[in-house]
Amino acid sequence: MKEFGYERPAHPTDALAMIAGVAGARFLGGGTNLVDLMKLGVETPAVLIDVTALPYDFVTDDADGGLRVGSGTRNSDLAAHLAVRRRYPALAQAVLAGASGQLRNMATVGGNLLQRTRCPYFQDVTKPCNKRVPDSGCPARDGEHHNLAILGGSDLCIATNPSDMAVALAAFDAVVFVEEPAGPRAVPIADFYRLPADEPQRETTLEPGALITAVALPALPWAANSRYRKARERASYSFAIGSVAVALDVADGMVRDVRIALGAVAPIPWRAYRAEQSLRGQPATEVAFREAADAELEWAQPLRDNRYKVPLVRNLMVRTLIELVQAS
Amino acid sequence: MDRALTLNGVEVRFDVEPRTLLVDLIREEFGRTGTKVGCETGECGACTVLLGGKAVKSCMVLAAQADGASVTTIEGLGEPGELTAVQDAFWEEHAVQDGFTTPGLVMSVTDLLSRNPDPTEAEIRSWLDGNLERVTGYHNVVAAVESAARKLKQGDSWKIEPEVVAGDMVGASVRPREAPEMLRGETDYIADVTLPGMVHAAILRSPHGHATINGIDTSAAAAMPGVIGVFTAADLGFVMPLPVIWVPTDVESHWPPHPSGMVPGGQSLLATDRVRFVGDQVAVVVAETVQQANDALQAIRVDYEVLPAVVDAEEALKRSAPQLHETVPNNLCMSAPLGDKAAADAAIAAAEVVVEETIRNQRIMANTVEARGAIGSYDATTGDYTLWTNVQPVNPIRLLIALYVLGVPYNKLRVIAPAIGSSLGAKGYLFADGPLMLWLAKAVGRPVKWLDTRSSYPRSTPHGRDHVAHATLAGSRDGKISALSVRGFNNLGAYPVINAPGSPRTLIGQSVTGAYDIANPYYEANLVFTNTSPTGPVRGSGRAEAIYLIERMIDRYAGEIGMDPAEVRRINMVKPDQFPYDNHLGWMYDSGDYPGALDKALEMVGYDDLDARRADSRARGKRLGVGIGSYVAAAGVGPSAIMGSKGLVSGTWGSAYIGIEPSGEVSVTTGAQPHGQSQVTTFSQIVAQELGVPLEAITIKHSDTNGALYYSQASYGSRSLSVEGVAVYNACQLIKEKARQHAAHLFHCPVDAVEYGPAKVFARFAPDQAVMTLQQIAFTLWLGWDLAEGMTPGLEAKGFFDPPEFNYPYGTHVAIVEVDEQTGHVELVRYVAVNDFGTVVNPKVVDAQSHGNIALGVGQALYEAVRYDETGALLTDSYSTYPIVRASELPSFELLRTVTPTPNNPLGAKGAGDVSNPPVAPAVVNAVCDALSDLGITSLDMPLQPHTIWRAMSSASAGGAAGSGGSASAGSGGSASAGSGGSASAGSGGSTSAGSGGSASAGAAAAAEPAGAAS
Repeated sequence: MKEFGYERPAHPTDALAMIAGVAGARFLGGGTNLVDLMKLGVETPAVLIDVTALPYDFVTDDADGGLRVGSGTRNSDLAAHLAVRRRYPALAQAVLAGASGQLRNMATVGGNLLQRTRCPYFQDVTKPCNKRVPDSGCPARDGEHHNLAILGGSDLCIATNPSDMAVALAAFDAVVFVEEPAGPRAVPIADFYRLPADEPQRETTLEPGALITAVALPALPWAANSRYRKARERASYSFAIGSVAVALDVADGMVRDVRIALGAVAPIPWRAYRAEQSLRGQPATEVAFREAADAELEWAQPLRDNRYKVPLVRNLMVRTLIELVQAS
Repeated sequence: MDRALTLNGVEVRFDVEPRTLLVDLIREEFGRTGTKVGCETGECGACTVLLGGKAVKSCMVLAAQADGASVTTIEGLGEPGELTAVQDAFWEEHAVQDGFTTPGLVMSVTDLLSRNPDPTEAEIRSWLDGNLERVTGYHNVVAAVESAARKLKQGDSWKIEPEVVAGDMVGASVRPREAPEMLRGETDYIADVTLPGMVHAAILRSPHGHATINGIDTSAAAAMPGVIGVFTAADLGFVMPLPVIWVPTDVESHWPPHPSGMVPGGQSLLATDRVRFVGDQVAVVVAETVQQANDALQAIRVDYEVLPAVVDAEEALKRSAPQLHETVPNNLCMSAPLGDKAAADAAIAAAEVVVEETIRNQRIMANTVEARGAIGSYDATTGDYTLWTNVQPVNPIRLLIALYVLGVPYNKLRVIAPAIGSSLGAKGYLFADGPLMLWLAKAVGRPVKWLDTRSSYPRSTPHGRDHVAHATLAGSRDGKISALSVRGFNNLGAYPVINAPGSPRTLIGQSVTGAYDIANPYYEANLVFTNTSPTGPVRGSGRAEAIYLIERMIDRYAGEIGMDPAEVRRINMVKPDQFPYDNHLGWMYDSGDYPGALDKALEMVGYDDLDARRADSRARGKRLGVGIGSYVAAAGVGPSAIMGSKGLVSGTWGSAYIGIEPSGEVSVTTGAQPHGQSQVTTFSQIVAQELGVPLEAITIKHSDTNGALYYSQASYGSRSLSVEGVAVYNACQLIKEKARQHAAHLFHCPVDAVEYGPAKVFARFAPDQAVMTLQQIAFTLWLGWDLAEGMTPGLEAKGFFDPPEFNYPYGTHVAIVEVDEQTGHVELVRYVAVNDFGTVVNPKVVDAQSHGNIALGVGQALYEAVRYDETGALLTDSYSTYPIVRASELPSFELLRTVTPTPNNPLGAKGAGDVSNPPVAPAVVNAVCDALSDLGITSLDMPLQPHTIWRAMSSASAGGAAGSGGSASAGSGGSASAGSGGSASAGSGGSTSAGSGGSASAGAAAAAEPAGAAS
């Protein structure tokens, strides 16, 4: 690891002043991704500003019936929280589907939102990567891409977002609260991440120096009927090759409302709006579920070695919807 | 900046760079070495500590992040010298083998039970996914967690008196004597060894698969802070490359040269003008700190000229292939036939049914959580060298380094192995780094330490398997096999490893008939050099390749004739009345009931009643598959003369020294070298049984060439108990005999009238008057005041054992899998293993070995593969790119042991260490193929990753099953080579038509293979 400085402010204003004052400063949450990337030489911050002493370790009820989660909340605490498990089970399941117990004990909600892609070229500093070094090229299209994007990629980048948690947050229309140099801002998760287009190095819409303070989960009573499913190369401890977070509101055999988000298929947690649209008001049948999945996936642009993701994700969506019908 | 934390309840201050990791702070600054380092990337969990009461991986936490926090390490658990309930449960359940990963597991489980006092098995396994384990198969660990949960609910009442074993010691599952210190984190491994004045080495390795070295500029590196010296091959002078000592002498072979002219040559300590694989050692830096040595490594400039590379054995035999060694035409080390080819060909020509298949056993690595290391030291006053290194064979490498590498007097070199964090065979070699550290220690005048890292491990340590076989099996329509003919290709990598070239013909070739009576077997071993890491034995070595091959072929044949694969096995197995059985390839099977083990295993899984189970799976979108793996595995290396006839230049007898101290305690030195097999326990049990002394009175010494033994042959190939253990048994008999003789002298009676009883001798005619304790006998022999004519003083003896034959453990394993139709994911839902290891000294120890064997085999079948691209670049150098099996990927195993003693040693014990690995991978692959058989899929190449299976299923259902005789075959995808699309293609590529022994022609018969197979 290259040398760097370390600070741990106790007050948000200090943290924001520090990040504004030092070139190359970065916020540090649990460090489970950032420290790893520093070992690989992918990240070389001049100063780490540890934000875990800030007063952001909380889970509280919002007045509107939603839930508010502080950005410093450890992943293990989030997954174990009773309100999360009861009211947003897909979120608890998504968090538990990631990493291992020891890492979840360290990892924070804010850090999880900002974790970086596990694209092999991004993580290998000896290889070109437009995300790591703009305009250096992308070997993934013709190279190792069997776990890269089938939706939302650009010619410059087809890396996928690795977060399980963010897929569930996308399904629940979470809102991310940030402090930016210009002041506080509430960013709907749909506007939080950005597609690579011609700037793959920019992954979010945050201003430089932004500090995530909390995530709000809006009230959604039928989110209690939600589920996160993850397919991976192995039963445990690996990143998804495809995942879905689904919440279903079904009555009298008809879909009243539905939320579907997909993971490991796009550079962002992919909200399947087309599938949702095609399902609302339809009978809750396997046929309808298949049509909905197809409505979303017909836009997929798979490459040589990741075609399998299209049927894989279709199957995951359909199976999860069926399970939720059975559970309701 | 001054910081503080509470470490194990005591506030400590520290001032380190922000880039210092918490694990380094704990180990280096505070000297708490119970916290281990396995990967540095947060995957293995060996470094787990409690931070603020919660388990975290201390290699993923900056020391600064712990400022102000409370940190608990393994040393901080419970009261000093005692065990917590969790630790005691690990001990009780034999959840500890080599102990390296144990502290991390204990810390992790301590956290789990503090927040979930009553976890389900699924919750336990899911939580344990944060801790990698390579030897227990997690089976006993899960049991320990369940036991610990029970203990914790009992308050302090679980603290019972130490167990007392009544009756026979042999056959009792006594708790491992080695375990308590491991559970407390007190056992020192190579990383924990520090010598006064020690400095640190870092080795520069080739990044290229094949290149010439035009020049090396070390000047910038030499000028960096803390650097003591930078060395290249030019500095080494007369230091020789590694030797090879197992070479079949009856066939033509070609080798890299060795300056001694006595043996073939292997890898050089530092490459001279050319590098031949990613990892070849190029230069070495010695500096005051590890960080300084690593920093200086970056400043060495090597002028490489990259050459074309070849990574596949059969490709390397083609005339156009890059040539690795001038002395090895066409990269062919040897082509060694075994068996009667003409008879096999004739039987195949006359057969009703002929099945051809290419069987690929991919390249794997031991990838033990503890990596390797070495410390060299040199005493300029005496000229004595000492090497500390975590290898299995301290005495053999002492001899080889002295004689063939450094050229120093044998009696000026001492080799010591600290505790070893498991080996799985891959710490069983002579490595280039050990002698290099000795040379450096003399050159710089200080002890020099080198410690490997996870990412360097696949570059520094030989890999295993990488065996391709074109097999032809012939038989009748009613299920009787008449012939098996195999052309095998072993990828040796860039250089031959000390014992590896002797293995393919002996351990694979002789074993290919498996448990079956096959009249006309033939095997041809082709050994080929390529631009990859050298390969050698890994747990199950040789026999794993052979059993995988025959067990896959049996299933292919059964499918071809439409017969139940279990019935085909039953028909062809060697029957109990056929022993001793000559398998026509060199083995002489000793004893057993092979069909009996098969039937027991089938009964355990309810083999005849699985239809409902299959239907249930289909209703859930899964396909159920059942696979059988039967095996016989030669163990107990070995009869020295037989091994000699196969070209091994070494004795393979066992030896043991026993001294009864004047105070009555028993000191034993064994030629075995335990590295997780609990031999301190099992050998103590033998001594306790034979001499009638309590376990606590017995000390077992090992792993130091300055011991009581002339030479220790070490532990490998499941030989420890059935060879070295028998030597201990024999030494006990000599002790008893000497005690009786001395007693007879003192009692003034004939020796015949004196009997040995538990820890005493007595005259039969006056057992209450003429009686002396073992201690009294030892004491009087030590005094030497009154000895019979010719009697030597001291009650001590050396026992030896050179077995007349190998021994042959056997059994049948059955795997049941579910394949997810929509994702291709394979879940192992049940695993049943029936094994016969002959007489068993400690059942739980032996079962624990089987658990590890099963886990390793499942890992190979489903996850593991070392991959290179076509330039020789290594693609798998972490636990994420080279995944090893985790707890939630395994079920609890169902084990049954039968006991058929071998007649080949007085204990009746057969080998047990690695022999139950070979049937595992074929059982799992057979099960998956069974699950997919109605799609026309009959063969799949390991590892069976979801995308491999999914593609095979898609292709098969899209294209329909291949025609008769063909097989839908999918390559194991994911390699960087183009076209890993895995189409359904006929996979039979074997040929039996090539001439025997033709070296250059060996490649001509290489068949076109499905693309995308692991190289």
